Amino acid sequence: MSTAMNFGTKSFKPRPPDKGAFPLDHFGECSAFRERFMECLRDSGYESSACRQRAMAYLECRMDRQLMANEPLEKLGFKDLIDEKSEAKPEK
Amino acid sequence: VVPGETALAFYKAKNPTDKPITGISTYNVIPFEAGQYFNKIQCFCFEEQRLNPQEEVDMPVFFYIDPEFAEDPKMAKVDLITLSYTFFEAKEGQKLPLPGYQ
Repeated sequence: MSTAMNFGTKSFKPRPPDKGAFPLDHFGECSAFRERFMECLRDSGYESSACRQRAMAYLECRMDRQLMANEPLEKLGFKDLIDEKSEAKPEK
Repeated sequence: VVPGETALAFYKAKNPTDKPITGISTYNVIPFEAGQYFNKIQCFCFEEQRLNPQEEVDMPVFFYIDPEFAEDPKMAKVDLITLSYTFFEAKEGQKLPLPGYQ
């Protein structure tokens, strides 16, 4: 039960997500991308940083199939990966 | 996960019944004090989601930990943050009272 130590403790206030909810992928259209991402996580010992390329690919899959609002990937924290991509393909 | 870097996590939900279920989920962050640094960009939560009989779906969460987490001396010993979701069934006929709704 509460003790004097709880004085001033705030209750946890859930906050809604910045960009709203993901629609459910009822047909598993992006399951393959999720699988590739999870494979990377397992192989890297669950290092999120090592698998950002595949995380980006998953989100791109969603955007391509109307399962996520289109948003420039640079704004989703993938700017460095995009810059790398364009450096690797100077002709494009 | 590196503070400031966006990250993706997956949960899975299954409806083991033979009836569609509409649910809504809310989340919790442990330790409590880390919750203020947890920022969701997009997730499956807060909106009603319908799962068909026997359906199993991926539920992604796209988030980042506020880089200020690394500056907070109270967080110095925190190396594990646990995010959990609870899925509640949305009850039929239960509607939020809207102003002017008859």
